[in-house]
Amino acid sequence: MEIEIEFISSEVLDEKKGDEKMRFILEKIKENKILVIEESLSPLEETMLIEKTMSLIDKKFPGIEVSTLKERMDRGIDRGIRDKLIRFLGGRTGGLTVVGPSKLIKRVKKEPHKILLFAEKKK
Amino acid sequence: MAVPWRRLIGWFRRVFGRRKVVRLGFYGPPNAGKTTLANKIAIDWTGEPVGEVSEIPHETREVQKKERVVVQTKGKKLIMNLLDMPGIATKIDYEDFLKHGLSTEDAQQRAKEATRGVIEAIKWLENVDTALVIMDSTKDPYTQINITIIGNLEARNIPVIIVANKVDLKEAKPEQIQEAFPQHPVVKVSGLKGKNVDDLYEAIAKHSR
Repeated sequence: MEIEIEFISSEVLDEKKGDEKMRFILEKIKENKILVIEESLSPLEETMLIEKTMSLIDKKFPGIEVSTLKERMDRGIDRGIRDKLIRFLGGRTGGLTVVGPSKLIKRVKKEPHKILLFAEKKK
Repeated sequence: MAVPWRRLIGWFRRVFGRRKVVRLGFYGPPNAGKTTLANKIAIDWTGEPVGEVSEIPHETREVQKKERVVVQTKGKKLIMNLLDMPGIATKIDYEDFLKHGLSTEDAQQRAKEATRGVIEAIKWLENVDTALVIMDSTKDPYTQINITIIGNLEARNIPVIIVANKVDLKEAKPEQIQEAFPQHPVVKVSGLKGKNVDDLYEAIAKHSR
């Protein structure tokens, strides 16, 4: 069985804030897609995503699996200053989020520098 | 702006106020032993439990409170409001409850209540002074839920004490928790057996605002 994985550039989410961003992500998840997003959700965004997910849960949609790789903070003085400036101006300096419906994602194994995702679609 | 104000209010309270009551939040994933630990503390010092404990996940589906629990630890007096939170999860499948023998109707009702509980636990992040993040020492601690909870507490400048729970079990590996979250104090306890709970009181007294 096919599983659709959508890779989303951080540019797509740049202009979406708060609720709009979460709605965008959850609408795609409810279409049974696994998303790989080119940015790391902040902890506050992660809880916002969980709250919105909880309000959508029903018999057919039991929730999501989500995992993030955070932005790097240890890149030396030069890149550190550059990254801080980018973040100060509201930009992102890396990171990754993988999120999808829990019906598809059987298990996520998270490590500091990688995410292992096991997906399966029932026939 | 919220964080400087919180610090200022905390400073005024410490300098001019009466003895502070610590609003102690018990956070963590379902079945980490939050209520068992909260009950241990509450029963020891008030004679009454905070809530029911069950093998079935999401037994705690709304915030359970025990107010003004007075604990004596090494000559210090600690006054706490215990706030036992529903477990935080990203999925709640009613079919998981069927495996525990619940009827379909009861399982669906439990799932519905559990979703509300998760939302409530998140909203309460604003209202705790210190948080215990309780983890099951027999499980991999490096999960997104644990990272999200700790990240949120850090973003709100709320002191975090990690509780490596269930250390009475043979397969417990509390050192993995310490390795995963070296930036926070980790106290190894068994809420069920009451092991090292005094160390936890000391940590609360030391790290609470």
